[in-house]
Order: sequence, then C-alpha cells, then structure tokens
Amino acid sequence: MRSLERLALRLVRALDSACHRLLGWRYNPLHQSGSIAVALLTLLILTGLYLLVVYRVSAPWESVARLQADPWIGRWMRGVHRYASDALVVAVAAHVLRMFAQARGWGARTLAWTSGVLLLFLLLISGWTGFVMVWDTFGAQLAMAGARLFDALPILSEPVGRTFAGDREIPSAFFFLNLFLHVALPLGAGVGIWLHVSRIARPTLLPPRPLMWGIGLGLLALALFVPAPLPPEADPFHYTATVPLNLFYAFWLPLASSLPVWAAWAGAGATLGVALAIPRLTRRPREGSWSPSVVDPRLCTGCEQCPKDCPWEAITMRARDDDRPTLVAHVDPALCVSCGICAGSCPPMGVGPAHRTGRDQLVDIRALARDVLSVAGAPQVVAICCENAAPTHLDAVRREGAVVQTVTCSGNLHSSVVELALRGGASGVLVFSCPPRDCRGREGPKWLTERMFNGRDAELQERVDRRRVATATMVVGDLAHTLATLREFRASLAPLGSGGAVDLTELDVECESGAALVEAEER
Amino acid sequence: MSLPISRLAALSAASVAALVLLRAASFVPVHDVRSDSAWVRLSWSARPERIEHCRRLSDAELAERPAHMRLRLECEGRFARYGLQLMVDGAVVLVDTVQGGGLRNDRPMHVLRETPLTPGTRAVRVVLVRLDTLSTPDAESEGVATPESDAVLGDRGAREREERQRRSEEGIPPQLSLDTTVTLGAGRVLLVTYDGEKRALATRTGGS
Ligand code: SF4
Ligand code: SF4
Repeated sequence: MRSLERLALRLVRALDSACHRLLGWRYNPLHQSGSIAVALLTLLILTGLYLLVVYRVSAPWESVARLQADPWIGRWMRGVHRYASDALVVAVAAHVLRMFAQARGWGARTLAWTSGVLLLFLLLISGWTGFVMVWDTFGAQLAMAGARLFDALPILSEPVGRTFAGDREIPSAFFFLNLFLHVALPLGAGVGIWLHVSRIARPTLLPPRPLMWGIGLGLLALALFVPAPLPPEADPFHYTATVPLNLFYAFWLPLASSLPVWAAWAGAGATLGVALAIPRLTRRPREGSWSPSVVDPRLCTGCEQCPKDCPWEAITMRARDDDRPTLVAHVDPALCVSCGICAGSCPPMGVGPAHRTGRDQLVDIRALARDVLSVAGAPQVVAICCENAAPTHLDAVRREGAVVQTVTCSGNLHSSVVELALRGGASGVLVFSCPPRDCRGREGPKWLTERMFNGRDAELQERVDRRRVATATMVVGDLAHTLATLREFRASLAPLGSGGAVDLTELDVECESGAALVEAEER
Repeated sequence: MSLPISRLAALSAASVAALVLLRAASFVPVHDVRSDSAWVRLSWSARPERIEHCRRLSDAELAERPAHMRLRLECEGRFARYGLQLMVDGAVVLVDTVQGGGLRNDRPMHVLRETPLTPGTRAVRVVLVRLDTLSTPDAESEGVATPESDAVLGDRGAREREERQRRSEEGIPPQLSLDTTVTLGAGRVLLVTYDGEKRALATRTGGS
C-alpha cells in the first residue's frame, strides 16, 4: 500500500507541476478539488431545478427532446447540467487521489474518508438515475445492466428486466422513482458533506472566485458550442450498433456486461471493500512523525490559543488537577492528525507532537546556529522549508547559498525559532510553505503569516526586525519562482547590513524560562 | 492576475483541451455487441396451474368447522412446473424449466430469456408444456354443483365453485405453443409473450 501511495504521490506532483506552470499555485484546481466538487454540485442543483420543471415522467425522452430543441435555454441548460456532472466525477476523483497520495485517509480522518466513499457512491447512483431518466439508448443500456445485476439477487420474484422487455409500457412509476432518487440523493449528499467536514475546523467549501467562474464559464461555453447530443430513444425491439457511453459514470459497464453476474458483483463488492478499508490499510503507528500531540500541563498557561488554531478541533480546555487557577489544554489523540500546528501556536511551547514542539525546534535551530551559521564566513539566509512543499527544490536552494532547515509543516514553526536563527547569525529567515490550499495541516501557511506579521500567538517578538523575515510559497514545477523569491529576499537584505549574531543564551533564557520554572519545580 | 501572452495562450489551449476531453469522455461511441445478432426474447408473467389432491368433506365434517372456514373441497398441493423449449429452424436452442416465483412457488411465473439468432428469415417455435399432472378432478373441482353441497353451504358453495373456476382460468393452459416465421435484421428483437386474454402466446416486433 505504501508503494501505491508513493506512486500516487508522484502522479499528484506531476499533475500539480503542470497546473502550476499553467495557472500558478493560487488557481491550481487540483488543490481545491473538494471545494470545486461542492461548487459543481451547487451548479447541478441550480440547472437541475430548471430541467425538473420541463421533465415529464409520462414522456421522458420526448420531454428531454423538447428541451433539446429549445436553443435559447433548454439546450445549454441541459448541456451545463450534463458536463457539470461529468466534471464533478473528475473533481471527486482528483480529491480521492490527493487524499490517498498524501496519506490523509486514516486515523482522525477515517470519518472523512468513509463518508467520502459513501458520497461517491451516492454521486454515482444519482448519475445513473439521471441517465436512465432520459431513456435514450444509453439510459436503457444502463437500466438493463442494472436490472441484470439486480435480477441475480434473490430479492424480487419478478425480474426487473421484464420492465424493459417491450411486452408492456414502462410504467411512469419507474421514471418517477428515478426522478425521486435523482433529486433526493444530491439533497441527501448535503448531510454527507456535513459529515465529511464535521471533524475539521473552518472548512473551506468553495474555491477562489476566479477559479469558480472560470470552471462555470468553461462548462457554459462547452454547452453552447458543443451541445450535449440527445441519443435516439430507447427501443426495446432494437439494439443499436453504437451506444454513446458516458465514461465518467459507466466506465464499468463494458467490463460488467462481459463478465458473469457473480463476477461483476464480486468486483463491485471488492472495490467498495477496498475503498472502505483504506483507513485501515494506510494507517501508521502513532509514533515518530505520526505521534499525536501532547500537552505539558506544567508549561500550559491556559491561554486557549492552541484550541483556536487546531484545524481538527482536537484540543479542548479542561480544569486543572493542580492548584493553578487556569484551565489546561487537553489533546484527544483520536482526533489529532499530528499536523503539529499547535506547536507553533503555544507561547510557552507546552504542546505539540513528540520531538516537534517549539522546544524541540529550538534545540535543532541552536545546533544549526552553532554548527553552520557561526562557522560560515558571512551571514547566511536560512530557508525554513516545509518538507512536503517541493522536496526536489531543496538542493537548488542550498546551491543558491541558503542554509536549509526543514519542518513537517510551516504551521509547526515556532516564531522563537525564527528569532533564534537571526540571533544565531542568519542574515534573514525565509519560510517556504506549501500552497495554502494544499497544506496537509490545512492551515499552516495561514497561521504562519499571522504569527510572523500580525501578532497572533505565538507571535514573533516585536524586537525582531521584520525586514529580515519573509514567508513564501514553494511549489513543485516552479523552481524558478522558488529561486527568484530567495534572490529577491537576499537582495532586500543587502541594505540592512549583516545583522549579526548575539549570545544565544540570552534568548534561551527568555524562551525557556517556562521550562526552567518547571525544572525548578521538579527539583 | 496579469498573465504574459504566452502563458495565457497555453492556459487557453489547456482549458480547451480539458473541455474537449471532458466532452469526448462524456460520449464515447461503444459498439453494442448485441446489435450483431437478431434476438428472440421470451417475456411474460402468468399464473401456473395448481396441482392439488382434494378431499370432499361430508356435511357432518363441514358442520364441525367454523362457518367462515367451510369449504367443500379440502385441498393440498403445489403449483405446476412447465417445460419451456425454443426451436429455431428446427433446432432446439433453449430448454428450460420454469415455475412460479416466491419461496413456495405460489407467485406468478416470470419468464425472461433472450437468445441470439443469426439475422435473416427464421422459423421460430416456442413450446410451454406443463410437467406435472393434475390430480383426477372430481365434480366439485370442475365447478359442478351438487344438491348436497348447496344444501349445507348455501351461497358459500356457489362462491367456492366460482373461486375455483376463476383460479383455474387464471392459470396458464397446460400446453402452449407458437410457430412463426420472421425476418429479423441485426440488432432486431422478436418478442414472444403470453396474452392473458387470449390465453395464448403472441409475438411482437418493434412498431407492430
Ligand atoms: S497536532 Fe496539534 S494542531 Fe494538529 S491536530 Fe493534533 S492537536 Fe490539533
Ligand atoms: S497554547 Fe500552550 S499555553 Fe495556550 S492553552 Fe495551548 S498548551 Fe496551554
């Protein structure tokens, strides 16, 4: 499963890289596949409302043909509905691929993954019913394939397939049932989406406006210039030579039709089983970079910042069991995804996953200052890079003369680390993050900027010269941008002079006074 | 966002390509292998006949029963099975046994079979024959009234006879057959169905 994940990650990076070159990272649709799916669903509901008014269960194909014959509204409305439903499958597939590739489907994210699988299932059923409702050659083929599968189950004594055999009219109730499901399932999907995002704080449900309008207008243009054709009405007495198959919803049809029914069911069951088992198959032991965050109650001052910042609502404030008058933070390991954002949010560095707390970061940067910065001939730029952003850029950044320090997420970074790097001899600190919409910690770049420049806890101290600190985005496929950002930053430092190292013990004392207190307490 | 011309051109080309791909994958012409053959489709629902062993109750036995349970004939049995055969140009292409649906086979018998043929003019013969034999019918099971039954059961006797008559008429005849010669092109379907009113097999091809 790990090698499959790695393969998927390579594919995701290759696709990202192409999108970054074309669109830039801000509008990379692959970063916002989930929110694009929600936007497309909204578009489907809006266009569907119009189609619903025109559709007749007593004359399904004829009513769609009437729509199709109306060049002013009907044809393009149907086209947009059809193409948006196809694009929805693409968006969902991209979302699933990204979550799988980035190992974001297990642990606290299991509910999101499982509800996502069910949402996908609802989407497919809703799509199938939409095609059947039209009752053209493709809709009929889909219905017959479904009937073949159902009739193999010992549920109904009368084969469903007899409905389409031609010895009687297909009852309106059949089309009504399809219509009902087609309308009810997307509405039910609303509940599914709520469940899907229920474990996360501040979910982003819509993509940036330019992207949203771009996709909407693109689909409209497609519907206007290449209208969705209406295949001939289904005829129970005639199998036409070719059927216009919709690959997005019926990719399985040619295979399922050529397999024995039991094999088709087994294939469907196995696919669903594997999809539902992904959280189990991809889970990691909760150690190392997957270890959950822990609170050191001796350091926690009860400031309530970490519950505000945690993107997974894994932290709550509780009463203390000692005599201090404040509350104490508590991490629920079952909800924690080890993103480490809380490590950057805690002024006294009292919370974070093992080996990634602010205090651990201070140890690392102190070593860097001692071993690298202090022995360098001239003050260096320290580039603190998110290890997920663009690993292949790190060597180039080093060759460009920066000292590279990696973090699991830029949102992990404690502001004291930046201060310590500057005091340790760095001429400036440039923090590279993933694109905000592609952050595995969800809100890393956002909180980083807030902490560095807008006074959010744990904020960068006022004494730090902000001109020597910058944040930027590093994306695969755009090394030129990474290097240009670095050069620009370095150029901006030139007029400021060397800065200069100071005795780090002073800062250590400031940063670690809480810890010293604890140690004294322990003694 | 201001884009250089070259990037704008690349972006436009990529968007058009994505939309064209979307459109292409939305309507992929796939050959339906069923259109290579002509087809005979057998499709109907009908009630199978009931195979019963009946005992005629005496007046004394009837009198012992609660009024609402008085039936002159007390029957036990099951529903008949039928042999289905399809022949094309004299060759048997389908042999099957069909029976009523449900766990006790007491539901209508649903038939849905499709058999491919070589397109052209074909002599098609369909035969449906009851495989189980009925018990020897007595006067009452044939719906004939006797003075004895009417004396004890009154109206209920008549209703019982009517009910039995109706059930036997609802059942499919013990033997059905259909012979027809049709010309079917590739992808065309000859439907053979059961006409409940005429109590006979009937054919349909599209548009007729
Ligand atoms: S590591 Fe911290 S911020 Fe991230 S989910 Fe766990 S508790 Fe929340
Ligand atoms: S940020 Fe730190 S001090 Fe504040 S509540 Fe959380 S653990 Fe306690």
